[in-house]
Amino acid sequence: MSAKGRERRRLLARVATFALALGLWFTPIPAGLTSQAWHLFAVFAAAIFSIIVNAFPLLTAAMLAAAAAVLTGTITPAKAFAGFGNASVLLVVVAFLVASSVVKSGLGRRISFLVVSAFGRSTLGLAYSIFLTDAAIAPAFPSNTARSGVLFPIVLSLAQGAGSIPEDEKTRRVGGYLMFCGMASLAVSSALWMTATSVNPIGAEIARQFGLKINFGSWLIAASVPALAAVLMLPLVLYRLFPPGVSATPDAPAAAREALRTMGPLSRDEKVVAVAFMLMVAGWVMAGTLKLDLTAVALAGLGALLATSVLTLDDIAKEGGTLATYLWLAVLFAMSGQLNELGFMGYVGGRLSSALAGVSWPAAYVALMVLYVLMHYLFVSQSSQVLALFGVFVEVGQRAGVPTPLMAFALLFASSYFSTITPQGGSQNVIFVGSGYLQQGELYKLGALTTAFCLLVFLVLGTPWLLLVVR
Amino acid sequence: MLPGALAVMAPAALPVASRITAARLPRLGAALLVLLTAACSERAPGSASMPAPGESRTFEGTWSASGSLQTLLLEPGHKASIVSLTGSLLLTGQRGLGVGFQGEVIGLSDSLTGGVGKCVWTDEHGDKVFSDLKGQPLGTGSHVTGTITGGTGRYAGATGSYELQWQYVIASDDGSVSGRAVGLKGRVTLPAAGAAAR
Repeated sequence: MSAKGRERRRLLARVATFALALGLWFTPIPAGLTSQAWHLFAVFAAAIFSIIVNAFPLLTAAMLAAAAAVLTGTITPAKAFAGFGNASVLLVVVAFLVASSVVKSGLGRRISFLVVSAFGRSTLGLAYSIFLTDAAIAPAFPSNTARSGVLFPIVLSLAQGAGSIPEDEKTRRVGGYLMFCGMASLAVSSALWMTATSVNPIGAEIARQFGLKINFGSWLIAASVPALAAVLMLPLVLYRLFPPGVSATPDAPAAAREALRTMGPLSRDEKVVAVAFMLMVAGWVMAGTLKLDLTAVALAGLGALLATSVLTLDDIAKEGGTLATYLWLAVLFAMSGQLNELGFMGYVGGRLSSALAGVSWPAAYVALMVLYVLMHYLFVSQSSQVLALFGVFVEVGQRAGVPTPLMAFALLFASSYFSTITPQGGSQNVIFVGSGYLQQGELYKLGALTTAFCLLVFLVLGTPWLLLVVR
Repeated sequence: MLPGALAVMAPAALPVASRITAARLPRLGAALLVLLTAACSERAPGSASMPAPGESRTFEGTWSASGSLQTLLLEPGHKASIVSLTGSLLLTGQRGLGVGFQGEVIGLSDSLTGGVGKCVWTDEHGDKVFSDLKGQPLGTGSHVTGTITGGTGRYAGATGSYELQWQYVIASDDGSVSGRAVGLKGRVTLPAAGAAAR
């Protein structure tokens, strides 16, 4: 498409966005909702729509939406800006800064050579190494956001080690493929282990009120077949969906071993970063037991890296992308939370799911799953969706005759794998999104396709398996 | 960088993602919006579905709410919490009060003596129903009763009562709390014609 054509298309998308916002705003308010909730939905829906149709970048859409919501008096400034003080948002930002030390010190390069020397015969091999590493470490991390802070520097180093640069269209795709593998890996590994994300115990607690007792073992058994199938298939599926351009690299392992020899022993900065990371990982793993705040652990790591001059203030000043990420994430996080608090999410979830009354249970089960996953387009937090909708959907499933364990487990697994549906669908995505390897449109396309694939795997393989093993 | 190591550029397969043309994703987004808007498509009931002045009607439904909880620890085994919750109250059954409201409550929950609170339900016109709450301390399974004390707009002068049970209440360390109340059922009476004006 010519530059003029692209410009015309963008203009049309912008007009459509504003038309949508105004159309929804002036539509009569549905019974059962307040004007505040409906108007906030109009603003939020238009913002998400504008991102999907490439009318505006994420940051621009978020800024315009926040301004519109506050200046029209739809929500108070305190509510609109609450995301800037949210610990999860801050954790993403700090993890981003800490990750830059892994790259700067050279430790990331060394790790990438180690990984490539073992798995680097193909790009697909690297992708599998990401999925398998994440699946192995996941049960020890109660927060998948913290886990993304560990995984991201490795993936970034692998991308850079492969010569992939975000600004270079020829080499960008390798990095983009590996970055999305990192996001997808976090999504399915969180479904595999009950302790891999803070969302899972919350869901298990709600499920207990429906008479379902879930523990670490029963979760693992229930998740094993569909989640492991997804782990095994996703690198291949993503490879097909987003070919990295580079496939076979038979000489890479030998070259990586040679590069490692050339690098010599660990430098002072590499040692400092390695120790800081080990302490942070220990802090994150033991956070529940020792009652440590995850963000405070990350701040301690960042502080140590600054104090030891591994990172300097100049390095921080160069991280303009991190600031942009912080701004859009905080705004969307707060707006989505407000939609929930104003009752919009519960209202839509309740209305959609109750429309299924009288449908046969298998049809109701599939419809509920699809609706539950699609509704994640409106959420910027997985736990918010679980708290707002999980109980509602389980109850509607129960009423439709869906076996409660099947409904509950299927929804719980979806609460993890749907996180890739949008770049903002889980805070663990954000650090990968901010790398710049994937364009906005690619993120939404890959997110929708990956989530659809996971939904299919969990329905086709997971449903019979759950009916077999869970009573 | 791995000089030379990744230089073997194999022909890539046709990118499937790129075949999902830019035109299709907006359609998906639009479809989702239509779905959401359709979910909200039930408009305000006409006056015929509202209780007539002096008429008494029953209602039932559910309430999903989230908010904040601030707890003060007292002597061992005793704590008091200030709770603030908002959320969607969906009504079913006779729909004597319409499809639903946004429900807001502010209250004090004492682990020994129980909970008290003030509740406001707001409908799509901005009309409100006020009630006083009393019951067991906030928590999973706790039972609460409400006394409707009046309202604004078309609910001016409303009286009645209702009860509900918290199916679950999940509180997190950061002071946020979410819950779902089921078995919400009650009766409301609007004042006889002219009574509200008096």
